[in-house]
Amino acid sequence: MDDLERELMSFKDLEDDNDSFDDNSSKASTKSKLPLPNYGMHAEPPRESGFHRSTRVCLEHIRDALLHHRWQEAAEYMACYPQILEDTTNGSAQSYKELTWRISAEILHHHPKSKLEDYNNIYERMKHSGVRHYLMICLEHSFHLLLNGHIEEAKRQLSVSESWRYGKESAAQDQKTKLIQAYRSLLDYIIWVDKKFTNSNTEYPESNENQDIRNYFRTASVNLKEILKNPGVWDPFILSYVEMLEFYEDHEEALKVLNDYAYDNSFPPNPNAHVYLYQYLKRCDTPEKNQMKVLKILHVSVPSHELMLEYSSFLLKSEKSSDIEKALRVVLEMLDFACWRSSLDVWKRLEAIIQKLQQQENWKYVVRTNMAERHGWWPALHFTCFHASKDSEENPELMQVKAPLTKILCPDLTLKYTDWQATNGK
Amino acid sequence: MDYQFPKQLFPSFYNCGPPDLVLKHCAGNWGCYDRVRPQGGSGPLSSWTFTSRHQVGGEAWRHTEPVPVPLLSPKNSFPWLSTPPDPQDFTEHMQNFFMDHCQDAFGSISGILSENLNLKPGRKGKSRSDSVYMTKMENIIKKVKLKRCPFSFDSTVLDRYGTLLSDVLPAVPPELLGSLLYEELEEQRERMLFCEAATGGALAFIPFSQSGSDPQRGCLLYPGNQGLDFLNFHRVELQQHRGTPSCLDASSCELSTFQLQGPVRQISAASLINDCCVAVRSDHLCGVWRFSEGNKPQLMEVVNTKEVGTCISVSPHVLGEVLVASESGAVNLWTVGKRMQKVRKEEEYLYFNAKSSWRWCEFSAHPRVMQYADRTGVELCDIRMSPVSNHTLFRIGNTSECRSGERLILSRYLADVHPFHHLITTQYSAYIMDERFPCMPVLKWDHMMQSPPMFCHTVPGSDPSRTAKVLLGSHSSQEITLLQYSGGRAEACSSRGPPQALLRPRDSLRHLPVQIPHRLELATSRLSIPAAGLTCIHKRGGGGEECICILQLTEAGDIFYQILEPEQPHTPPQAPERNTPSGIKVAERPPHSLNLTSATSSDEDIIGPNQVLSYVPETPERERPELEIYSSSSESESQSKTRYMKRLHMQLQVIDNVNVDHGNESDTAGVSAETVSEEKAEIPEESSRMEEPSSSVQKLSDGVVVTWKQWLQKLMQKSRENKPRPQRRQPYKVPTEDLLHLSGVQARGEDSAEKERMENLRRDLRACMTSRSLLVHSAVSASLGDQEVVAVPNAVDTDTWKDPTSERFTVSWQGEGAWQAWWEENLGLNRGKKVEALRRKRKREKEARRSSSQQSVLSGSFTSSLCYQSDLSDFSNLSGWSSTASQGVWSDSGGALSQAEDSIENGSRRATTPSSVQTDAPVPTLTPTPTPTPQRDKQASQTPSSTRAPPPTPKSLKKSKRQTDYLSALFAPQDEPSQHGGYFLEEDSTVHHKPPPVASSSYQLHSSQSASLRSVRTGFSQSLTPSRSLTPSQSSQGRPGLSQTSQTKKKKPRMGF
Repeated sequence: MDDLERELMSFKDLEDDNDSFDDNSSKASTKSKLPLPNYGMHAEPPRESGFHRSTRVCLEHIRDALLHHRWQEAAEYMACYPQILEDTTNGSAQSYKELTWRISAEILHHHPKSKLEDYNNIYERMKHSGVRHYLMICLEHSFHLLLNGHIEEAKRQLSVSESWRYGKESAAQDQKTKLIQAYRSLLDYIIWVDKKFTNSNTEYPESNENQDIRNYFRTASVNLKEILKNPGVWDPFILSYVEMLEFYEDHEEALKVLNDYAYDNSFPPNPNAHVYLYQYLKRCDTPEKNQMKVLKILHVSVPSHELMLEYSSFLLKSEKSSDIEKALRVVLEMLDFACWRSSLDVWKRLEAIIQKLQQQENWKYVVRTNMAERHGWWPALHFTCFHASKDSEENPELMQVKAPLTKILCPDLTLKYTDWQATNGK
Repeated sequence: MDYQFPKQLFPSFYNCGPPDLVLKHCAGNWGCYDRVRPQGGSGPLSSWTFTSRHQVGGEAWRHTEPVPVPLLSPKNSFPWLSTPPDPQDFTEHMQNFFMDHCQDAFGSISGILSENLNLKPGRKGKSRSDSVYMTKMENIIKKVKLKRCPFSFDSTVLDRYGTLLSDVLPAVPPELLGSLLYEELEEQRERMLFCEAATGGALAFIPFSQSGSDPQRGCLLYPGNQGLDFLNFHRVELQQHRGTPSCLDASSCELSTFQLQGPVRQISAASLINDCCVAVRSDHLCGVWRFSEGNKPQLMEVVNTKEVGTCISVSPHVLGEVLVASESGAVNLWTVGKRMQKVRKEEEYLYFNAKSSWRWCEFSAHPRVMQYADRTGVELCDIRMSPVSNHTLFRIGNTSECRSGERLILSRYLADVHPFHHLITTQYSAYIMDERFPCMPVLKWDHMMQSPPMFCHTVPGSDPSRTAKVLLGSHSSQEITLLQYSGGRAEACSSRGPPQALLRPRDSLRHLPVQIPHRLELATSRLSIPAAGLTCIHKRGGGGEECICILQLTEAGDIFYQILEPEQPHTPPQAPERNTPSGIKVAERPPHSLNLTSATSSDEDIIGPNQVLSYVPETPERERPELEIYSSSSESESQSKTRYMKRLHMQLQVIDNVNVDHGNESDTAGVSAETVSEEKAEIPEESSRMEEPSSSVQKLSDGVVVTWKQWLQKLMQKSRENKPRPQRRQPYKVPTEDLLHLSGVQARGEDSAEKERMENLRRDLRACMTSRSLLVHSAVSASLGDQEVVAVPNAVDTDTWKDPTSERFTVSWQGEGAWQAWWEENLGLNRGKKVEALRRKRKREKEARRSSSQQSVLSGSFTSSLCYQSDLSDFSNLSGWSSTASQGVWSDSGGALSQAEDSIENGSRRATTPSSVQTDAPVPTLTPTPTPTPQRDKQASQTPSSTRAPPPTPKSLKKSKRQTDYLSALFAPQDEPSQHGGYFLEEDSTVHHKPPPVASSSYQLHSSQSASLRSVRTGFSQSLTPSRSLTPSQSSQGRPGLSQTSQTKKKKPRMGF
């Protein structure tokens, strides 16, 4: 870590030259000048020593070989490249370290005989060669261990890097630390599940064993709760956290966490957040009204979600007459999307809704208002002769459902779909 | 199940705010897993598995050929800039314009003015009253020293003066022309580096049948003609025969061709079952065609966009719906044949000021929700509501890990891959966005392309277990990158394998037989023309093998294709410790073991070591006489041998890898090098070849070589057909016969001798070429005669010149210090110091003498006084200072004269001057030095006469006059001494060079002969005008030593006098 000063220095000038784009295009031209990626490959620096030139050319060859997936060739060149790490004159040693690590790891990924020791070797060496990428390489190292099934080893790695403190360098560093903590807690959760599983198999669980499991829960929950406060996508974390909370019957906390995850505006609009909340409510047997509320909100953001089928069935079951119209709208909107167009379930649902709707007096008006905006393109979307021939080939049952509906949905149009059915279907 | 949303996404932070990341290395996100998430497992520890967002291995695809193959023969040929122009060079372009197209540049104004100009002096009656007298004008023009066009002479007097005048009166004012040219060059440069108009690509393929087993047939749409203003519909067929590589057959006739009123910029096509809708965008026009397999393409409707159109996009949902975006910021939904509906109009930028009027639009999963994009991000607009409701899909800055300066380049709705997925590319990354979860990319790659990806084509995975392929193509660097990803339905998206760069046409020449240089140059520039489109034919594995054929269009209208095949696993997957995210995936993923690892494989691409022996006897063939080298067959043979050796090289290393533990790469490399050196002993001829980087393992098939050969031949033929430049005027030649004072007989004799020499020279040249030796002087001297041997000028003896100016010049060669010392010495600034030093010296000497001997006191004092005097004279050499002052001034003026001359002279002439100096300067009989002086004399008296001066061609007259003006302006105060010197010199010259005209003319003869010879040899078309001989002192420019020689020559007779 003796080169910390230099790294920090280089980090500063790294920050300085970042927004060159806005500077160089201050003149009022409509054509944009894009900052093009400069990989430092082809532009020859004005003054460079022979060493730097040979390493630069070597890097070009490595890059070219890797891009063309010629791993063998890349590996041969890579045998020479790490010399650059011994270079003390260059200010951007940090980037060379990361470069070396990335290229070596990629080559190892594609090497037919790479072993875990090789990976460990490169990860350990590179992570200790600099301050700024320590956390990143630690995280990647643990990922590698996890992917290869070494969960305990990975947890040890994460615990080591969790305790690593070296000032506060950047926001990215802070986020890396939080991620490491969260992943460590996720592994705690996995061990918790494991212990619970083995415990449940034995008939008489011991109390100290229970205490041990509870400890895992406690250590895991601290960090998981922490990471859920940051805006982001935390699907695996929240699931494990909620599962543990449910186990210890802390429903209040679980509901709060899920609600925050779904409805906090600083979070990205993750459909899964609503799904988890809905599933939780369903598990807890909360009233249908609450469940429908969640689905209603989900319908606004993702009208094509598969839970909309459940939503429409809720609406269909409902007593209110306006809900039938809502159900019609939900299902029609689902059918707008390509993925539901040939789904028998949705068309059947639509059939059911229409049937129920027809009991009302003003059903024609309701259908017409809902179809008004679709008037121009629904026939082309669903009811052409191409669709007719396709449906009759692939899904005749669908055709049976669809054909009568065309008359109801578009009463004033003569559609090729039914014409085709009339000529070819029978 | 397309409607499914992944149950669990990979964890990531959601960062807002401007991006600040700057990547300093070029490794992208190689070697990174990105994130992992647990998969399955709810029981014991061992049941848990993890999967990463970036998975190590994807499907392995390999090229069938190491080069892309041209699909069509080259249709045209035109010169193409290989490097983007530098806007600062606009002066050079202007100069070229004035030189090459002088009639266009100046002709019109001189034509207009010609009737107002009276060219002949003294005839007032005939001309109009308001005409300008050219004699005056001429003088004015002469005073302004302008760079003149050496070619622009014509036969008549009028034109001659007209051109003279036109130099100052260009048709377009130079300031305006310059600024316009600068602007244009800047725009051209930007367009070459990044041409946003080409975004989307003007190449499309529409398959006719979806069935897999029969050959994939379809229609290829591409622009043709030189200006890319023809839209071609061409039937192509992807053929596949067992055992031979698949190829693309374009031999069947074109379906139809349409001419457009501008270059085709983008082709967007969508087909529904059998009917196909094609939308074409050119700069201001958009058109829609409709066709199917049986029917010919039929133009449906054309619309005119007021602003430049930037995007056209055909609806994948409803045939006949097209989105059109233009630089005005408006996006219109165009229902063909019905109406145009404004979707959105945005004067401003979506998120921040990106200073670009580029707009893009695409459809989305919902037929009435449109994608609207500019350089800052993408929004989804729901046009069902009356104020269109928008929400962000992608935003630079809100997306995690955007980089500083990142801008959106292309956005594409991936209807065929996943109904909710959009691809967004920036100059650094490619993102997959799921429109159900906006703002957060579900996947991100570093595509690692040098220029931003503007073309995109996707190949859906044929079944859910296969990866979807995304092909990105860039414009200026022709790169194509293949990215693979899977997921997006039940599982979260994950990228598979690192980006793979595909072949580029510009790299293909090195795999082909060697071309002769001028062909190579032409072919290289042709092949490195920026790409203009990308498409792909995917043949699903039905009856035959699965393959992907990637087609790339260049701006020259060439189409190249390359075919990828899934790599056949040679050995069972042998990686027990590999990344095994899930049980299913191991089975489905093709083992990514290297193709090369199988030494025992019988694949024909890999040659076993036993075949080396069969190769050895062939080697002597390469050492056959040089006659063979010209035949291309042997050339390609040796090429293939090189490749063979390359493969051998690879193979050898591979064999090692089997034996040697591959934990350490350097180890392996070392061992393999050893083996190679062992092989070297066997095949010493190939040793040098072996060190070449083994860039390709594959072999070109003969068919491809033939295709390429034909293509290159056709290209050469085309390039010969149309001249690279329009015919320009022949340079005007001044008739020089009467200037040379040669008798006719002599001239004819000279001619025949010349002809013979040239014959000899040509013969020698041919002999040299056939023997492949160098054309050296000894080979030609026989045929050229002796006259070319130029005597080396005598060494300059500085001691002979004692005058202070010469001394000063001599001293100044030794450097600044010496020169300064000389001046100090001359001005007596250091006199006191020297006297002091002398005194000290004398004192020392005295003391020495006193101590050494007491005998010869008297004689000693005598010598010391002598040396005292000589010392003094050495130190203060002031004699002759005043007398040579005028000389010094004269030489200065001579220098100025030569400078003035030089400023008039063209650079090309300067190149020939030194030789003439070398010939004449040391030979006293030929010294033409005196000739300028009489002129000067006459000029001083302002009475031009032509008694002794060479025949006054207009040019020489002009020049001499100009010199006087210049000189008189410069040396007005010093007029007297210089004139004085001039008188002296004139008298000398009349004495010494008995008949000066003869001397000068003989010199002229000599110089013009040698010059004409030289011009023949070097191919310079401009002939040497005799006026040059008048001013040999021009050679003194920047060469003080030579000016000194001429000075001494001037001085010598005066001493005698």
